[in-house]
Amino acid sequence: MMYNSAMVNSDDCPLRWQQTELRHSGLARRAHRWLPYVYGVGLVAVTTLVGLPLRSFIDPTNLVMLYLLAVVLAALWLGRYPAVLVSLVSVLAFDLVFVQPYHTFAVADAQFVLTFIALLSVGLLISTLTAQAREQANAAQDQAIHTRTLYELSRDLTMVLDPADVARTVMNHIDRVFRGKAAILLASGQRLESALDSPELDLDRDERDAAAWAYEQGQPAGRDTGTRSEVKGTYLPLSSTQGVVGVLGFQSAGQAGSLTPEQWPLLEAFASLTAQALTRIELAREARQAQLLRESEKLQAALLNSISHDLRTPLASITGALSSLRDDAAFLDDAARALLVNTAWEQADRLDELVGNLLDMTRLEAGVRKVQPELCDVQDLVGVALERLGDRLEGRDIVLEVPGTLPPVSMDLPLMAQALVNLLDNALKYAPHGRPITVRAEAAGSELYLTVIDEGPGIPEEDATRVFDKFYRVQRSAEVPGTGLGLPISKGIVEAHGGRIWAANQAGRGAAFTIVLPILERTE
Amino acid sequence: MNETGLRVLVVDDERAIRRFLHTSLAANGYVVFEATNGAEALEAVVRDRPDVMILDLGLPDVDGTEVTARLREWSRIPIIILSVRDQEADKIAALDAGADDYLTKPFGVGELMARMRVVLRRIVHPETEPVFATRDLVVDLARRLVRVRGRDVQLTPTEYDLLRVLVTHAGKVLTHQQLLRQVWGLGYESESHLLRVNISNLRQKIERNSARPEYIITEPGVGYRLRLEI
Repeated sequence: MMYNSAMVNSDDCPLRWQQTELRHSGLARRAHRWLPYVYGVGLVAVTTLVGLPLRSFIDPTNLVMLYLLAVVLAALWLGRYPAVLVSLVSVLAFDLVFVQPYHTFAVADAQFVLTFIALLSVGLLISTLTAQAREQANAAQDQAIHTRTLYELSRDLTMVLDPADVARTVMNHIDRVFRGKAAILLASGQRLESALDSPELDLDRDERDAAAWAYEQGQPAGRDTGTRSEVKGTYLPLSSTQGVVGVLGFQSAGQAGSLTPEQWPLLEAFASLTAQALTRIELAREARQAQLLRESEKLQAALLNSISHDLRTPLASITGALSSLRDDAAFLDDAARALLVNTAWEQADRLDELVGNLLDMTRLEAGVRKVQPELCDVQDLVGVALERLGDRLEGRDIVLEVPGTLPPVSMDLPLMAQALVNLLDNALKYAPHGRPITVRAEAAGSELYLTVIDEGPGIPEEDATRVFDKFYRVQRSAEVPGTGLGLPISKGIVEAHGGRIWAANQAGRGAAFTIVLPILERTE
Repeated sequence: MNETGLRVLVVDDERAIRRFLHTSLAANGYVVFEATNGAEALEAVVRDRPDVMILDLGLPDVDGTEVTARLREWSRIPIIILSVRDQEADKIAALDAGADDYLTKPFGVGELMARMRVVLRRIVHPETEPVFATRDLVVDLARRLVRVRGRDVQLTPTEYDLLRVLVTHAGKVLTHQQLLRQVWGLGYESESHLLRVNISNLRQKIERNSARPEYIITEPGVGYRLRLEI
């Protein structure tokens, strides 16, 4: 097994506020165990000093009340055992300072023995009761913090969309709540791999083995568990309805390195929330993939339909014409032969156009053909496009409104010429013969507007955006040959140049297709 | 329109293409030789002494550019490259390596014959005439005079040099690099804006409509050619 591990070091985390809260609660009460006892003795000393000036005119039995107050305060602030110490020290201090003879433990009046016993008993009782109340309050506070911590984690996890973000969120939370480093290890084939790529904690072989055991058995392993407890980290399986999806690893930053009994259930709850979040993301991903698959199947079906029809039709004409020329040559007159040859030629041309379009589309989509922009003259662009159309322009009236004063525009000339060719080709197909097709170029602000205007039937309102969809063809255009790829290719090319393209109807005239390209700062 | 027994070498690994070229070229009076890869092509140039060569870019052993480069070490035989769409970079490489022209597949026989005549002009009519004329454009190279549609045209020295280079290679594609090197000199090969601006100015002066040029044709992504009327 291989591991990459990403652990969050608690010292790097800016979110320190909750740590401070926890230090006063049951979760972080282990530090400086002896300090409360020192405070307790100090408290008795202060009480004694306060009582000292009063001892000549107040009865010693009443001064006992001061010590009882000290015991209550100690139980409240310092806990049960420091309060017990305060009770004992109080009895001694009371005897030493306030019971005659002063400054000895000897007792002149036997009745004070009763006072001692009462002071000690009441002190012990108060310390027990008060400490219990305090511990309950602490427990309730801990519970509230647990609940809030879990709520915050689950709230944050509902917003993340990929496993790495889950890992990041969980690690942040673990760092805030527990002092230590955490890692989320996810199953990837036969291996466990960290959900994040920033390995900060090197998991050695023993740690990996413990994590692998936790993953395979679905049981906690490592420190503070019954299995492989000699390692540094604790490894909890991330179990969900889909099985074990990974492992949550935790290594305490403290010297002791152990989890307190209060920390265990919280860490387990973290693991459970993490597993849920990962499962949710996985299910969402599967649903999305299924959706994509359905869409791509639909597209492929459309592609196949279109291609099989558009490839077969010209091929059938070509094969038919050629077979007739080969087999029936004797019966054909010159005119018939010429007609067959022309048919085959035209259909081969159409086939070439289709294959060219399919290749262009594929190259654009696959990103094989990168846009290589250079400053070009707009007149040159238009000239190249018209040149490419060649014979197809014969007998057509092309009106050019392309001034030579336009600034040069940054573009990939062969590609952009193809985009314009496709628009012109579209106009040639739909506009009636004898009606002009206008190519108009104008600069507006920092953009070039290039418009191809025909005087054909125009585009039905509802088709204005869909004509740029692959294989979409306007309903009533069945008699016009085409592949439904020309306009989408133009759109792809224009958008690859950071430009826009749209179709609109000219009032009472026909369709107008507009390409808008950014004009960059002149560099010459 | 038959040529008089000029010898042509067809280099292509596709049998169908060779067969179609063989038939069409033979029908036009050429004597046709065939080769199916680069090594055979180099041998055939030595053995068959062809006058012109039609060379496919995608050969099974070495690519057409490499064949061109090796041939140019010792031969000036005109070479017409056959390429497919979107191979601009390959076309430029082949032209810079010394190929004379290119044709994009699929192409018609008429187009091929026109290109053949252009590259063979150099052999059939060696460039001795100081006056070049095509349609309404007349360039008198000896007197540095340019006339279009019967009117004298004033060109700047750079524009004239550019036109002169295009005219002396009339019909042939010149890459941006070749034009920059021949007009501006070494070291200017990347200053393509100089070329663009001067081509634009030249067109304003000699073309009827700069957006539909008759003489100076842009080969997009490759270079320019001066179109001959053939």
